[in-house]
Amino acid sequence: MRPVGLYVERRSSLHALDPISKLVYAVCLALVPFVAGDLRVAFVVIVGNVVLLAIGRVLREGLLALAGVGFFLATLFVVQGMVYPGNVTPLVRIGPLVLYSEGLAYALWLTARFVNLTLSAFVLLFTTRPADLVDELVQAGLPPRAGYVLLSVLQIIPSMAARIAVIQDAQRSRGMETEGPVWVRVRAFLPVLGPLVISSLVAMQERALALEVRGFGALGPHTSYRLPWRHRLAWPVRLAAISALLMALVWRLAR
Amino acid sequence: MATGTQSGASIWTTRWTTLTLVLFPVGIAINFVGKYVAQALKLPLWLDSIGTVLAAFIAGPLVGALTGAINNIIYGLTVDPVSFWYFITSVGIGLVAGVMARLGFIRSTARAIIAGVVVALVATVVSFPINIYLWGGQTGNVWGDALFTALTLRGVPLWLASFLDELVVDLLDKVLTVLIAFGLFKALPRRLLSQFELGEGEFRPTA
Repeated sequence: MRPVGLYVERRSSLHALDPISKLVYAVCLALVPFVAGDLRVAFVVIVGNVVLLAIGRVLREGLLALAGVGFFLATLFVVQGMVYPGNVTPLVRIGPLVLYSEGLAYALWLTARFVNLTLSAFVLLFTTRPADLVDELVQAGLPPRAGYVLLSVLQIIPSMAARIAVIQDAQRSRGMETEGPVWVRVRAFLPVLGPLVISSLVAMQERALALEVRGFGALGPHTSYRLPWRHRLAWPVRLAAISALLMALVWRLAR
Repeated sequence: MATGTQSGASIWTTRWTTLTLVLFPVGIAINFVGKYVAQALKLPLWLDSIGTVLAAFIAGPLVGALTGAINNIIYGLTVDPVSFWYFITSVGIGLVAGVMARLGFIRSTARAIIAGVVVALVATVVSFPINIYLWGGQTGNVWGDALFTALTLRGVPLWLASFLDELVVDLLDKVLTVLIAFGLFKALPRRLLSQFELGEGEFRPTA
């Protein structure tokens, strides 16, 4: 099974940038529209993110992943168009339903904010191996125990997901139905989850013992196998991202 | 005799061992798997906090809260950046599930249902302001949003409609989540649970 996450293995200048700079970028730029409170700013940042995804050669994957929530965004326009409290100007009439322009404008604002948040995060997620990000965070001062917890989740999930298929096959061969009406499918949930969860929790005990034996709980400094990730643009990128966020704040206050 | 730790034990007491630390990733993986299986079976529910609730049942409210917190951080960092916003919801679910367990609400199925309702209420109270801020009150669940639209068109205030939107989905989802976690908890070997117990005369989820 493929590893958890959105990471796409490519070669690009964005892939080469260090994970922490990309994390700083993603957090700051995702927040810019929230802070600026202006639709035009949101559009500028969205365009910037699209350009960056293109530079990272992951634009197609990014837009496909975004299309997954297209249906929800569409309901946002319909529902807000109808029920937004500030609605006064009717714009479209479809049978008994009336869509108001204020509600549609509000939905556009919510959508722009969401799309920007997602694309900013994609700049990080599509171009960074999660393990590299956690490693860098540990080198930057995150406690190694916290790093272990984050990393091991990424390792445990694929192995558990692979076992689901085995358990489902085993239960099906014993006559369990996994297709049909809702209640049949609900009943199929527990026989799949039960064996998986219980065996994982029992295996957990062995993992704890194995860690203890290797000095996981040992006191004193812990060393790292990897060298810190250096990139000449690391600080310029971080400072640019932080100043973008500050400029958004100034924009908000100046208006 | 470790009398000192006995008198100091409360609902919040937690045993911090390597085993506790390893429980986090397993709980989060269970959340993920619950969500995955629910999607594979095309259930109209989330079922994505079974591991958080189970961790809270096993090791107490603080471990439950932390499992929820790390769960959303990892989701935000790998798959779905929006899950950062619902960070507090997950913490609330873990915290309340753990408190209910320590108060003896997982001794019978009937009590577990009450615990599920309380968890659902807390999750709703924490989530609906976030829904209003991010989505103008919607949840993204088709049933809930249909109710939301119908209520608002009849003049129900936005906050109330949004609250009910979240509640109809959460009530079913969280009661089922707690019941599934309860069923799994009952099936766990004593050998495992004993390592999380606090000692004589203290809070014991299984009495």
